Amino acid sequence: MEGQILISLGREFGSGGHKIAQELAKRLDIEYYDENILDKMFGEESDLANEMRDYDERKPNPFLFRRVRGYSSSMEEILAENIFDFVRGKADNGESFIVVGRCGDVILRDYKRHISFFVLGDMYDKIIRVSDRCQLSEREAINEIQRMDRMRKKFHNKYSEIKWGDSRGYDLCINISRLGVEGSADVLFDFIKRRLEMIG
Amino acid sequence: MNLAQIAAVTIFIAMFLTIVLAERYLPRHVVTLFCGLLTLAIVFGLCMRSIDAILESVNLRAFFTREFWYAGSSSGEESAGINWETITFITGMMIMVEGMTKAGFFDWLCMRLAKLVKYRPTPLLISFMLMSFVLAMFIDSITVILFLAAVTVELGRLLKIDPVPMIMSEIFCANLGGSATMCGDPPNIIIGTKLHYSFLDFFLNTGMIAGISLLLIVVYFYVMFREELNSEKISEDDIKNLPDPMSLIKNKRDFNISCMIFGAAVVLLVTHSITGLTVSSIGVFIAALTILAAGRGAVKLVKKIDYETLLFFIGLFVVVSGLELTGILDIIAGFIGRVSGGSLYIMVAIILWISAIASAVVDNIPFAATMIPVIKSLSATMGVDLHILAWTLAMGTDVGGSATPIGASANVVGVSKAAKSGHPISWGKYCRLAIPAVIIVMLVSMAVIFIRYC
Repeated sequence: MEGQILISLGREFGSGGHKIAQELAKRLDIEYYDENILDKMFGEESDLANEMRDYDERKPNPFLFRRVRGYSSSMEEILAENIFDFVRGKADNGESFIVVGRCGDVILRDYKRHISFFVLGDMYDKIIRVSDRCQLSEREAINEIQRMDRMRKKFHNKYSEIKWGDSRGYDLCINISRLGVEGSADVLFDFIKRRLEMIG
Repeated sequence: MNLAQIAAVTIFIAMFLTIVLAERYLPRHVVTLFCGLLTLAIVFGLCMRSIDAILESVNLRAFFTREFWYAGSSSGEESAGINWETITFITGMMIMVEGMTKAGFFDWLCMRLAKLVKYRPTPLLISFMLMSFVLAMFIDSITVILFLAAVTVELGRLLKIDPVPMIMSEIFCANLGGSATMCGDPPNIIIGTKLHYSFLDFFLNTGMIAGISLLLIVVYFYVMFREELNSEKISEDDIKNLPDPMSLIKNKRDFNISCMIFGAAVVLLVTHSITGLTVSSIGVFIAALTILAAGRGAVKLVKKIDYETLLFFIGLFVVVSGLELTGILDIIAGFIGRVSGGSLYIMVAIILWISAIASAVVDNIPFAATMIPVIKSLSATMGVDLHILAWTLAMGTDVGGSATPIGASANVVGVSKAAKSGHPISWGKYCRLAIPAVIIVMLVSMAVIFIRYC
C-alpha cells in the first residue's frame, strides 16, 4: 500500500488485540508499537525502559502527585506525555506504524491517514487466553482482566473526551471471538485497504 | 460548634479535597477563589450576618494604611483575611525574577560556578547545593530549581554523569535555604507579614538553624552519593562541549541591570527593619525598577506573572479567615495547649513535627496560613513567646515539605525536570533519601530551639 499508514488499536485485556496488531504490522510491513515502545524510546532492554514499565498506561494516584506551573511530579503523566511526543514525532516524520493502546486513537485523531480500531472479545475466550498466558485459575484470570481493563479505561479517559471502548471514538470495533485472530485480521486488513483507497 | 464554624470547616475540607482530587478539571486557584466566595457568602453573610467580617476578610483597607508601606518591624494592626502584603511582595519578586531570567542571569550563574569548580562531580555537587541554598534565600525555590535542574541535566548529559544525586540535593537545599529568610519560602513570607517579623529576625533565628543544618546536609548527601560521584571520569573532550558562561548572557545591558536590581532587592530586604520599608513597598519598588528597565518589553514581562499562584493565595487567605474569625483555630490552639499540658518543650515538639509531617503530604502554604492564627492564639492563651512558635512553625513547614516528591513546589518541578530528561525519581527513591535528611534538620531545629529559647 502506498503512502503513510497510521493505525491505532485499542483492546480489552486478553482479547488478543496485540496478536491482531502484530499480524497487521506483518502484512502491511510497518512498525509495531506495544510494550516494546519503551525499548524503542529508551534503548533495548535498558534499565530505564524496565524502570518505566511500572508507569506505562497507568493513571496516577491523585494523592501521590502534584502539578506546579505546568510541571507534574507524576511519573505516569510524564511517561505518557513522552510516549505521545514519540508517537506524534514518528507520525510527523511520515513513518507508518501501528500503535497498540496508549491513547493512540486520541493522539493520532487529527492525522488524515489514521485509522482507529477497538478489539474486544467474549469473556469466556478472554479467560482462556489469560489463564494460559499468565498461568492463572479462572477466578484469578477474571480478576486480572477486570483490573487491567479498569486501568486501561482510566488511563484512556484521562486524556480523551470519548470514552475507552465507545464505538463512536473508533473507525471500527470488532469482537475477535466471532472470527478468531486470523479472520479478524483479514477484516481489518480489508478495511484498511479500502479506507486508504478512499483517502487517496 | 455553631453553624458558622461547621460551614467554615466544611468549606476548608472541601477546598483541600477538591484541590487534591479534581486538579485536572479545576485549577487550584479556581478552587480556592470559589471556596473563598463561599466563605464570604455562607460563613460571614448567611451564618454570621456580619458585614464587618466580610470587610476584614477582604482586607482592602490594608492598602490605605501607613503600615502597609512603611512601618517598624513590630508595629502594625493585625487582621485576619487576605494578606495583601504577601501578594504584593510575591508579585514584585516574580517580575524581578522574570527580568533576570530574560537576561540569562541564572544560566550564566550556574555555568560560571560549574566552570569555577572545573566540572568535577564532587565539587559540582557541593557548590550547586550551596548555590541552591543561597539563591533560595532571596528567590522563590521554584525558579531556583527550574534553572538549576535544567543546567544539571544538561551538564549530566555532556559530562556523562547521573544528574539525579545533584537534583535531589539541590531540591533539598532550595527548601532549606528558603527557610533561612523571610522571603525564601511562601510560608515564611506569610509568617513574617502576618506576625510583623523582619528579614533579619528570620535570618538570625531560622537562618542560624538552616545554616547549621546545611553543613550536616552537605555531608549527608556527599556520603549518600560518594560512590557514584567518585566513579565518574570527566575527560577534556567532555569539557570542550560545554558552552562558555558568557555566551549564555542574552543581552549585556539587561544582564547588568538585572544584577543591579537583584542587588538592590537583597540590600533593601536585609535592611528593611532599619529603613522601615515593608516588604510590600520593596516588592512594588523592585517591580517598578524592572518594568522601567524593560522598556518596551515591560508588557511581556507583566504577562509572564504567575497570576494563578497569586489568585490561589487570595482565595486561600479568605478561606483561612473563615476558620479564624469563627474561632475554629482557637479551638485547635486550645487542644494543642491541653495536650502539651502547658509545657513549652512539648508545644514546640508538637508544632515542629506535625508541621513537618503535614507539609510532607499536603501543600505547606495552606498549612502555614492555617497554623499562624493557631500559634498566635496559643501564645496569647498559654503565655508563650510568639517568636519561638513562629520559628518552630517556619522550620517545620519549610523543611518538612522536602520529605516527599509532592511536599513542596520545588520538589515537583525538580522531579518533573529530571523525569522528562529520562531520569525518573520514584517515590521510593525520593523518600529513602529525603526523609532521613528531613529528620536530621528537624532534630537540629528542635535542639537549637530547646537550647536557645526554652
